[in-house]
Amino acid sequence: MSLLSVRDLSTEFRSGGRWLEAVSDVAFDLQRGEILGLVGESGCGKSTIAYSVMRLLARNARIRSGEVWLDDVNLAALDEERLQDLRGRQISMIFQDPTTALDSLFTVGHQVMETLQEHLDLDPAGARQRALELLRQLGIPAANQRLNAYPYQFSGGMSQRIALAIAIACHPQVLIADEPTTALDVTIQAQILQLIRQLLVDEQGAGVLLITHDLGVVAQVCDRVAVMYAGKIVEFGDVHSLFSNPLHPYTQALLNSLPSKGIARGRLENIQGRVPSLADRPSGCRFHPRCPQAKAVCRKSVPPLKQVSASQEVACVLYD
Amino acid sequence: MSSTIKGQRPLLSAVGLSKYFPLETGLLASLRGNTTTVKAVESVSLDVYAGQTVAVVGESGSGKSTLGRLLLRLLQPSAGQVLYQGEDIFGMNRAETRAFRRQAQIILQDPYASLNPRMRVGRIIREPLDIYSEGSKTERQKRVHELLERVGLNRNHERAFPAELSGGQRQRVGIAAALALSPRIIIADEPTSSLDVSVQAQTLNLLADLQRDLGLTYVFITHDLSVVQHISDRVAVMYLGKIVEEAPTETLFAEPKHPYTQVLFSAIPLPDPARRMNWDLPKGEPPSPLNPPSGCHFHPRCPQAMSACSHTVPRFQSVARDHGLACLLYEDGVN
Repeated sequence: MSLLSVRDLSTEFRSGGRWLEAVSDVAFDLQRGEILGLVGESGCGKSTIAYSVMRLLARNARIRSGEVWLDDVNLAALDEERLQDLRGRQISMIFQDPTTALDSLFTVGHQVMETLQEHLDLDPAGARQRALELLRQLGIPAANQRLNAYPYQFSGGMSQRIALAIAIACHPQVLIADEPTTALDVTIQAQILQLIRQLLVDEQGAGVLLITHDLGVVAQVCDRVAVMYAGKIVEFGDVHSLFSNPLHPYTQALLNSLPSKGIARGRLENIQGRVPSLADRPSGCRFHPRCPQAKAVCRKSVPPLKQVSASQEVACVLYD
Repeated sequence: MSSTIKGQRPLLSAVGLSKYFPLETGLLASLRGNTTTVKAVESVSLDVYAGQTVAVVGESGSGKSTLGRLLLRLLQPSAGQVLYQGEDIFGMNRAETRAFRRQAQIILQDPYASLNPRMRVGRIIREPLDIYSEGSKTERQKRVHELLERVGLNRNHERAFPAELSGGQRQRVGIAAALALSPRIIIADEPTSSLDVSVQAQTLNLLADLQRDLGLTYVFITHDLSVVQHISDRVAVMYLGKIVEEAPTETLFAEPKHPYTQVLFSAIPLPDPARRMNWDLPKGEPPSPLNPPSGCHFHPRCPQAMSACSHTVPRFQSVARDHGLACLLYEDGVN
């Protein structure tokens, strides 16, 4: 059984007196011991999925329909009290900007211990001991002194380690990581990704939903990938298949626009036009106005995500 | 194409360029005369030839943006010179500086923060022409239209405010404004870092077209090594204020010699799951530029550090034609 199962999730935002759909009928399963990448450009709805799963949506947003199963609990229909209990214990999240995820008025040790004491039956001494272990595991030098330091005394990379320590303190089954390394330098990014892979996935068998716009990060750490465009998953599959044999014209275009394809100084392919706004999503396949292979039917019918090989699913009429 | 152009003088050169920022340390400390300085850029020398693209790469705090600002005289150096066609830009009088600034422009990272939100696009692009009293009013208007077209926008965008444009379009406005006075050299400070990949591709293509058509010279400041490989002729790698290695792009990517360059390259996530990194990563983080390590700044994180590295500052020297670096592993008689 999968750890997390998202079923036909649609999430909408209120804007100018109207509800606009940011995520439309998204479905996927997250397995034990895997990193599932959710990739797409700004505005594709990937972060909205994360916030929907965690039930951390802003006031002007709501889940319109769908289910989010964590074991046998539907998070989408759960009351706030039971959510509080699950968050941090069974499902955790880390964010792009680690400095805003930490409270600047409390020491780092206080914040790590708070989570531990909230969810586990630990006395202050036990919580401190466990916090110390966590900081050491996450490669924070002089962990004992650092417990008494405040967030402003930490670099971006160190802050993200602390945020990760808090997130994994109670051995959650699921971690949602929303662009966790986007604000970090490449050497630090690699360290953090390695920690997530080793500590959480390989050692504890947790599942990670990694939200990123960086196809390099996806290729390096993900097992499976969902590619999103304008609120929908357009392609889903094993990471090797997706990169060696991208099926959806959008996935193909995205990979071709990367500057590191080995063709030094050649022209980069780019996608004509721009991502449609929420208020103005095209009919049929949402990519059709920008698609080099669009047919007349693409304007009318919405292609469902279909299994086309053992390891790949795609939502495109070219594969009917 | 040979990178060093024989017998040609560089268009722009940094010579032993340094910038130290004094740090606010509170009243008591300053009364006692204790002032701390951050050595943001330290003894940097770099030649930029006309028509070429030189990339300056490094992680945050490496001093690459400070270097970019020094090259345009947006900051005064603590030591050293910047020569534009052989003349020190810091020794220029008012009129000469004004003339220099026509020829050297900047493109900034964040097209959201760098455009005045209360000015319409047309006025943003026209402003440099107004300041330099370029042509008549009609001529300026015509020039604005030309520039809009040149960067792939159209006349309809002239009346728009920046907030009405996408990130990619705003970056085009920034580029059009930088081009208004027909500069010869453009310093581009992370011009595509805040853009999505498909928009980044459009912007990089535009910059390449402009270089080809207008013979522009670029200094491209970035942390993104895949962009560097794509766009530049030469690369200078910075670490804590110093250039640690400099070489033609192909040489550097094929044979990075400085241990820091090697570490940096090995940490780039390649978009190819068949070539996964070996996670043999440097320990620790870049140290604070406030208190850099002695000797070679990289020695505490260097997998190949020797005892001499903690107390000997490596000299920047050539190891091959066109390939320079500062590392004791390549200096004779040290170990």
